Amino acid sequence: MKKVILGMLILISILTLSACKGGEVDERIEIEFWHLSPVGDKSYSQVKQIIRDFNESQDVYYVNGTGFSFWDYWDKLNIAVASNTAPDVGFSTIDDNIHRAERGVLYNISDFMATDIAAGDDTLDIDLFYPSQLRFLTYEDDLYGLPFTATTRMLYYNLDHFAEIGLTEADVPTTWAELETVAKQLDKVDGTDIERIGFDPTYGQGTYMGYLWQAGLDFFNEDLQVTLNTQEHKDILEWMVTFNKEFSRSQLNAFGEANTILGIDPFAAGRVSMMIATDGLYQTLQDYDSSMNYAVAPIPLPDEDGIRVNWGSGFSLELYKNGNELNNKARGSWEFTKYLMSTSVQVEYSEAVGWLMGNKDAMDIVAEGNPIITALVAECEYAVDKVYIPYAPAWHGGDWFQYYDELKAGKLTVQQTLDNARDWYNEKQTNYNDTH
Amino acid sequence: MGTNTDLEKSGIKKPFLTRKRRKIIHDITIHAVLIAFGTMFIFPFLWMLTTALKTSNELLQGTDVLFPADPQWINFRVAIETVPFFLYMKNSFLLVFFAIVGTLFSSTLTAYAFAKLQWPGRDVFFVIMLATMMIPMQVLLIPTYIMYAKIGWLGTRLPLILPYFFGGGSAFYIFMLRQFFKGIPKDLTESAIVDGASHFMIFIKIMLPLVKPALITVTLFTFMFVWNDYFGPLIYLSDPEQWTIALGLRAFQSQYSGRFDLMMAASLLTMIPTLLIFFFAQNSFIEGITFSGIKG
Amino acid sequence: METLKKTSTRKNAFKKLRSEEKKLGYVFASPWLIGLLTLGAFPILFSLYLSFTNYDMISKPDFIWLTNYRILLTNDSLFYKALFNTLYHVAISVPLGLVAGILLALLLNSKIKGMAIYRTIYYLPNVVSVVAMSLLWLWLFQPSFGIVNNLLSPIYEFLDMEPLLWYQSSDMSKMTLIIMGLWLVGGSMIIYLAQMQDIPTELYEAADIDGANGLQKIIKITLPLMTPSIFFNFIMGLIGGFQVFTTSYIMTQGGPGNSTYYYSYYLFDKMMVDNAMGMASAMAWILLVITLVITMVALSLNKYVFYLGDQT
Repeated sequence: MKKVILGMLILISILTLSACKGGEVDERIEIEFWHLSPVGDKSYSQVKQIIRDFNESQDVYYVNGTGFSFWDYWDKLNIAVASNTAPDVGFSTIDDNIHRAERGVLYNISDFMATDIAAGDDTLDIDLFYPSQLRFLTYEDDLYGLPFTATTRMLYYNLDHFAEIGLTEADVPTTWAELETVAKQLDKVDGTDIERIGFDPTYGQGTYMGYLWQAGLDFFNEDLQVTLNTQEHKDILEWMVTFNKEFSRSQLNAFGEANTILGIDPFAAGRVSMMIATDGLYQTLQDYDSSMNYAVAPIPLPDEDGIRVNWGSGFSLELYKNGNELNNKARGSWEFTKYLMSTSVQVEYSEAVGWLMGNKDAMDIVAEGNPIITALVAECEYAVDKVYIPYAPAWHGGDWFQYYDELKAGKLTVQQTLDNARDWYNEKQTNYNDTH
Repeated sequence: MGTNTDLEKSGIKKPFLTRKRRKIIHDITIHAVLIAFGTMFIFPFLWMLTTALKTSNELLQGTDVLFPADPQWINFRVAIETVPFFLYMKNSFLLVFFAIVGTLFSSTLTAYAFAKLQWPGRDVFFVIMLATMMIPMQVLLIPTYIMYAKIGWLGTRLPLILPYFFGGGSAFYIFMLRQFFKGIPKDLTESAIVDGASHFMIFIKIMLPLVKPALITVTLFTFMFVWNDYFGPLIYLSDPEQWTIALGLRAFQSQYSGRFDLMMAASLLTMIPTLLIFFFAQNSFIEGITFSGIKG
Repeated sequence: METLKKTSTRKNAFKKLRSEEKKLGYVFASPWLIGLLTLGAFPILFSLYLSFTNYDMISKPDFIWLTNYRILLTNDSLFYKALFNTLYHVAISVPLGLVAGILLALLLNSKIKGMAIYRTIYYLPNVVSVVAMSLLWLWLFQPSFGIVNNLLSPIYEFLDMEPLLWYQSSDMSKMTLIIMGLWLVGGSMIIYLAQMQDIPTELYEAADIDGANGLQKIIKITLPLMTPSIFFNFIMGLIGGFQVFTTSYIMTQGGPGNSTYYYSYYLFDKMMVDNAMGMASAMAWILLVITLVITMVALSLNKYVFYLGDQT
């Protein structure tokens, strides 16, 4: 018995000793950076190189980068932020940056820039970034994050399918009416099974809020109160779910799920001729080595009064305070941030991971000679992010889908869907106010 | 006892369903039922295998293509070579080893206390133990993490090892072993008591050997849980050199295009140790346990 | 004289052991007790505290007393639906799982060749990744092209009914997920198999001598001596059932129409999506109370369990 206890004590002491972390690397100030390129990802070695280049370019700071797979990154980050063990520099999402800025979790970037200018040093050129993205990263007139990446949504269309019915790139629809005409010609049915659908407003990245924005509407007004109460709201939603009304619910379900269950993009599989998607679809098609002939175009407008706008999100680059105030680490984080946002590094990063970046000059370089990327980059000018609603951060997601899915399944009418959603948001708002 | 020929000689007709024939029918029926349902149970595994062997083009065609035309066994090699597979394996084995040792240690002792000993507060603590399993883990995540942050264990393997030695996550096994301990016949322990054995000796020399199948089950389940746990290593480890295989393979799930074939290949490879352990653990399940010979 | 001595030695031995037990119990349970009081207590008590605050995971929590509880119990339109979904799941999946597990274990305890292979096959789904399994189930149960409906089409025709919608129907979705959950019965099966190995073979031999057939042996020997494990799987089934979440998260995302939106899923969303961790903690503690009450009622069934170690 004594031997067992002794053994355990030895074991525990070994473990404790082995748990000691190493100290600083050769006297330099260590900066912790978390990113989305884990070991095993195809971008891993390039991102590592980018970090190494920074470390070798100066000898005051040393950046230690760790990559996590996309789904794990957010879990890790959220827990770390909650316990003040977040990285010094990390990615986050642009649309809820204001939530973190309000709570004092992030360093004030405008302050850093002002300090640079006062000291006569180089600082970031704000004009390199999209104003709409900067707007989302601004809280009380100061920047609390930088737009590392940009996203946009466009209409992808299959040129091979177009050719089948005698259409070319020039015939791409620009209004909803044209969209319907062309889409119906592209539908293909095999008996009772749908073989191909020309277009469906609910597929891919076609979102209700996206279509609302084209008509100058939204889910919420400037006071962050839910709207969804005008005739036009109803008409647009009606249009979305009756676009392919000649097919039955079960046909459409079967058609949709044949792909979604297996994680296959319906456009990439050639089963949908036109689809709204992000720049990510371009990456997907690259990864699958697809030989499809396709092009991208701005999303068709409701009519000639429609607004050219699309949902653009993106990753922000944020500096976490972890309960500290301005110190050397923070300064180092800022130097690294400037490095990451600089044009040449943004180009390198884009080539590594295939994202569209926030730095416009960098994107012009990357888009050179590639018509699809050039079009995507151009459309970023019209991208806006979705508003942050504190009482319903996922207002466009789970909160909305519980009614939207029922509408698509034919269990609710458009009016019921909007009424139920409105009640739900109001309830959440009341409860949020009661607890804050 | 007469043989069949004796019976025949005496004129009594041989029954159609002899013992041997009954056994054959019995066995065939069981085989049939097991195979019928077994096909359903083996299906997921086969599906993973065929997906792992597809080309990316075949993946795109989804369910139109059930069997890969040209099995891409190379996917397995790619999965191994893309990540530091064997380093991760080593890390996984390390965690699993300590988890099993710690769990067996703390859960057997505690289960014995609940099963065989009378001590004040025992039943209250038993209910408390069950109650610890009733709180959804998600709300304990951040408090636990903050606790480890305060005691400085973040970035080390300690949160992934030490709790097992102190019954952490073992309420399931403690309860299970308690049931097994209570199932051991009393007279086996009583003679030992008369001979002057202490509870500790009874525990080690009599109880533990008699619940061997349960101990093997605890080992198997602990192995599976720790081997497949990516979340613990994700949040507690900071050095990717310490990553386990479950965490390392998450790299195959990128944001836009999951390379399903690589994911499946990697998952299948990780399944192998568990299956091997299960298959060989069978051997101790097949022995029965006789209690005669221990009496007196 | 000799017998008297033996009896008093016996009595003394037992008396000595009994008095030691009071301390010994704590000694044996000490690893777990230490763990509970050090590493275990803090998170649990902290989460209780958080349930009375509006903690959003990034700023200092404000104490708001019972507001979270009041909102959940009186002004949250999804709370009772989520609770109902979970109660439904527990009420059906636990008995179903018990029966399936016992039957499977009895089958897999037969003495036929290749048993090790069969047991491995039936345990395979527990080893396969949950994500892979969930996707597969979606594919199998897809109402239009899934194999299950294809196999059942003669029955649909015979009964002149529409094919079942499985997970797409808000009436059937929970049941569909429960049926899919049966694939994982291998886990409880192992525990039963382990218990069956501990049944003394002399009992079977004695039964054979008395001329008992297979079924009688099962009913009079196997099943009663399996009750410790049956009871275990029953209680664990209850506790685990109340936290059902993963399959719905991967497969149906709580739909259709929130029919598979389980209590733990709602809790998860409150925390990870709404950032309302204080509220989520309150939900957790409400769940704890409900589970505890039901479990304690279930624990009273312990008196029907046949422990060989309690028999004299």
